Parts: sequence; C-alpha cells; structure tokens
Amino acid sequence: MSDATLEVRDLHKSYDEGRIEALRGVDLKIAAGEYVVITGQSGSGKSTLLHLLGGLDRPTSGEVRFRDARLCTATDLDSYRAESVGFVFQAFHLLPTLRAIENVQVPMLALNHPRADRAARARALLEEMDMGHRAEQYPNQLSAGERQRVAVARALANDPEILLADEPTGNLDSVNSAHIMEILIGLQRRRGMSLIVVTHEQEIARAAPRLIRMRDGKVEA
Amino acid sequence: MASPLSFTGFVWKNLKRRRLRSLLTLCGIGMAIGAFVGLVGFSHAFEQGWQSIYSSSGIDIAVIQQTFLNTSVDEAAGAKLKALPVVAQATPMIYNLMDLTPEVNALVYGWKADSFEFQSLKVLSGRRFQDGQAEVMLGDLLAEDLKKQVGDTMEIQGTPFKVVGIYHGGSGLEAGAVIMPLDQLQQLSSMQGKVSTYHVRLRPTPRGMSAEAYRKEAQAEIEAALPGLRAMPATERANNNQFVRMAQGSAWGTSLIALLIGILGIANTMAMSVFERTREIGVLRSLGWKRRQVLVLIELEAGLLGLGGGLLGIVLGWCALHVLAILPQTASIASSSFPWALAVEALGLAVLAGLAAGALPAWRGAKLAPVEALRHV
Repeated sequence: MSDATLEVRDLHKSYDEGRIEALRGVDLKIAAGEYVVITGQSGSGKSTLLHLLGGLDRPTSGEVRFRDARLCTATDLDSYRAESVGFVFQAFHLLPTLRAIENVQVPMLALNHPRADRAARARALLEEMDMGHRAEQYPNQLSAGERQRVAVARALANDPEILLADEPTGNLDSVNSAHIMEILIGLQRRRGMSLIVVTHEQEIARAAPRLIRMRDGKVEA
Repeated sequence: MASPLSFTGFVWKNLKRRRLRSLLTLCGIGMAIGAFVGLVGFSHAFEQGWQSIYSSSGIDIAVIQQTFLNTSVDEAAGAKLKALPVVAQATPMIYNLMDLTPEVNALVYGWKADSFEFQSLKVLSGRRFQDGQAEVMLGDLLAEDLKKQVGDTMEIQGTPFKVVGIYHGGSGLEAGAVIMPLDQLQQLSSMQGKVSTYHVRLRPTPRGMSAEAYRKEAQAEIEAALPGLRAMPATERANNNQFVRMAQGSAWGTSLIALLIGILGIANTMAMSVFERTREIGVLRSLGWKRRQVLVLIELEAGLLGLGGGLLGIVLGWCALHVLAILPQTASIASSSFPWALAVEALGLAVLAGLAAGALPAWRGAKLAPVEALRHV
C-alpha cells in the first residue's frame, strides 16, 4: 500500500485528436498533509495536471489514484470532487445571484447536508476567513481579496482532504496575494490537508517546501 | 442571522436573476394556458348546455343517422318509431346555427307545436307557436339582446317571422335560441321531409330490470326497426353532436398551437440560460454537483416557469370566460362559473410543458464536461 494520498502514474493528456499533447507521461505522489507548488511556463501543462488531480477531467492514458483507489468512472470523479477535493480558482467563480454565505453552501447541496447545519457551517467558515461580517453581501459588493476569501471558505465547505488552487493570487494585488497564501498555508497546517497550488509567481514557488516544475507536459527532473 | 440555502431557493434566485426574460416567458406560457382554459372551458360550457337540454326535457334516446356526414333522418321514420312498444313519445327536431343580425347569431330549433320538449321551458309571455305558421318563440336572453317582444316581427334568412312567445330555458343554449315550427325550419334549411334527430322518451322501466339494461334493449329494438339509424343514449348524444365536437376540436386545436408556442418560449429561455451559465455549470460540477443534480436544477427552473405560467394562465382564462359570458355573441353559451377540474388539468399541463421544454437544455447542461464548461467565456 502506498503512503501517498494522491498518485498519478504515466499520465498523458492530449487534445485535438492527439495533435496537442498537454501532458506526456507524468508520475507523481503527493502525501497526506503535504504542501506542493506546481509551476512552469504557460502551456507547460500545470493547469491540465491540476484538473486531472482534481477529477475535473480524465486522462487520455495513465491513471490517477486517490488513497490507492483508481478514479475511473464519472461517478468516482463526482464523489471525489464532492467529498475529497476543494477548488480555489483564479477568477473566484462565485455565483453572482447568491450572497457570500449562500455561495459557501453550494458544495454542501451536492452532499445533501441538513439545511440548518449548512448555514451554521458556512458562517463558521466565513468567520474563519475573517469574513463573517460580509456574509450577507453579494459577490459584486466584495473586493477581489474578499471574494477570494469567500471562495476559499467555499472550497472548505465539505471538509476536503485536498485543496487545489489554480493561480489563486492571479487576480489579486501583492497585499491580498500574501494574505490568501497565508490563509491557504495556515489551513494546510491546521487541518492537515494536502495543498496543491499552481502558480507562475516565483515568490510563492520559492517559499514552497516542495516545488514541481513542469515543462512541455513533463515534470522537470 | 443565518441564511440557509435550499435547492429550490437556488432555483428561484436563478429565475429572479433575469427578471424580464422570466416574466416574458411566464406571459408566453400564461397566454397559452389562458387560451386553453378559455377555449376548453367555453366548449365544456357548451357541452354542459346540451346535457342540460337533454336532461331537462326527459329525453332518453336520440335517433340519428349512423354516418357522420349525413346527419339528417327521414321524417317518415317517426311513424315506425312511435309504433314500437318501448317508445312512449318520439318527437322530431332540427337545429341550425343562423345569423339573426350581422352581430348576433343563434341556435335555431325546429320543433313540432306538440313536442314534449316544451315541458322543460317556461313561457314568460305570449304563447306557443302553431305548426305551418311563420311564427317564432325567443329565449329570454336572446329577446333581450335583440330587444324583441311578443308581437314584433323579425327577419330570419330573408323570411319575416312573428314573435309569438318569450320563454325561459334551463340552459343558455335554450335561453339564447329561437324555436320555430319544424316545417318552417325545414324550408329555411332546405330539409323538407328531413329532420336532424328524433328524441325519444321510453316507457317506464319494467320491474326487475335495470334502467341501463332497459335502455340498451330499447336501443337495439329501435336500431332493428330502423336500419341505418343509430339510437344513442341522450347523454352520449349531448357530448357527441357535431356542434359540441366542432367546439371541442377547435378549442383543443387552438390551445395546442398556443401551448406549443409557449413550450418553445420556455425552451428558448432555458437554452439561453444554460448557454449563458455554462461556466457556472462548470463551477457547480467542479464543486461536486452530479450531472443529475444539474439536470434537476435546470428542470426545476423550467417546471417553475411552467407552474407560474399555468397560474397566470388560469387567471387569464377565468377572465376570458367572464368576458365571453358577457358578450352578446357568446353569452348564451358561455358560463362564468369557474371550471376547477379544468384549472387543475391546465396547471398539470403547464408544468408538464415546462418540464418538456426544459428537458433538452437540462440534458445539454448536465452533460457539459466540468473543465470545458469552466473554460467557457
């Protein structure tokens, strides 16, 4: 049995009937509670790798294993995303019709959490992000930094084991970027969750305990 | 203050987000359901009017031609009919729809002066007409509409008729009608020697026999004695005469066309909505929502539009029935009483229409791959 929470073996991903090869044989193991930064130039395959690690897409060949179980079917991937993974996106992707506290509850609807618990849990998560006072605001009433903090709270809604962040500071100024990274790393330490961050920001890359560099669809040695 | 988010609350917020579009879609389906309630309600009232005529006159059986196109019966059949032991009374009648003025058209019945069908009418003024005379009796509703009274003359199809009586009938179809001697209507309709139907009252049901069994036996006896003719139970005839069938056919036909337009409206709204929310659907899928949950979300939105449109349509249809009950051209037929069963049917139809219209957009939304949906601009 592997000691890795997440493992990929000989992962290939191609588009346009094989004409574009985004990933060309990636092998990787990520342990439980580990903080990993994936970096590389545009088109190096880092976001594609993150999507496959998060169950948003399927590989052309190779396999993704979570706790030694291979993620094969659409049902596996749905359950994996709902129960074990939290996503933070560069563009926040908050739903504009919902208040901050309602946005945090959206992933809970996927798992049919009891209604009363949903609101209480969402509020607690927002307070953890120091956003309790903004819980009733709509996304367009929040600053970029605040939106990303709501998005982080939403990613934690179903208490995932793995937190995936795709350029989480890409739309933020330096102060907010540092704050968000501080929050993410703090969560990884406090909750013991694996944190995988895709970024092209060298400052974040340099500070990472483990750095994976991608180039032309492969992990650089 | 906690704000629990429910699935239906999410649906509602999505609909509220594009208020104008949702409102216009509601109006579209509302108009369709309104047309359904108004037209089918009108045809139901028409059907009930006929049933009322048959039941109040104590008619047991109507004798008509077996073929649909040839609806006239030879008047000579009456003698054979009256001779049958099961028949207590048999009276011929003709009916026709005629223009009385450019604005008013009405049902015109041709009866014999001694017809038993007069028993269901109450003569308010004047007297019964005489056979062979150019005389008419007017229903009170029609007389009021035409502003005619006993002693006045009115022209029907170019022939002057004297108004000899005003009566009140139990049904709007009688209260808004003209009754004239059978021979006079035969002449006006070029149906000399022919009648539309014979109405029959049976002798009392023999002891030890059920009314239904007796009626069936009488039907068989009449049909055996008069080959080529059909003896129908009166209630069946009330639902099945060509006026009722025409009214039902046109009501359902028009309603279905309106409903189809309403369905296309919802389908368009939902397709647009799914297209515009492609990235959002990707977000939902990335947050663990299953395809089935996305499908249910979109279908619920479409179903809710259908439900809202249905409720609006019921109100519109009810208003339409009220207007029809007031208009002189339709007052004799329409009833303003609220058709509850029809409203339930309309609401079910509206929700089904919504679900059907949302099915394809929902399926398309649900099958979006999360990563592709997230890339959608």
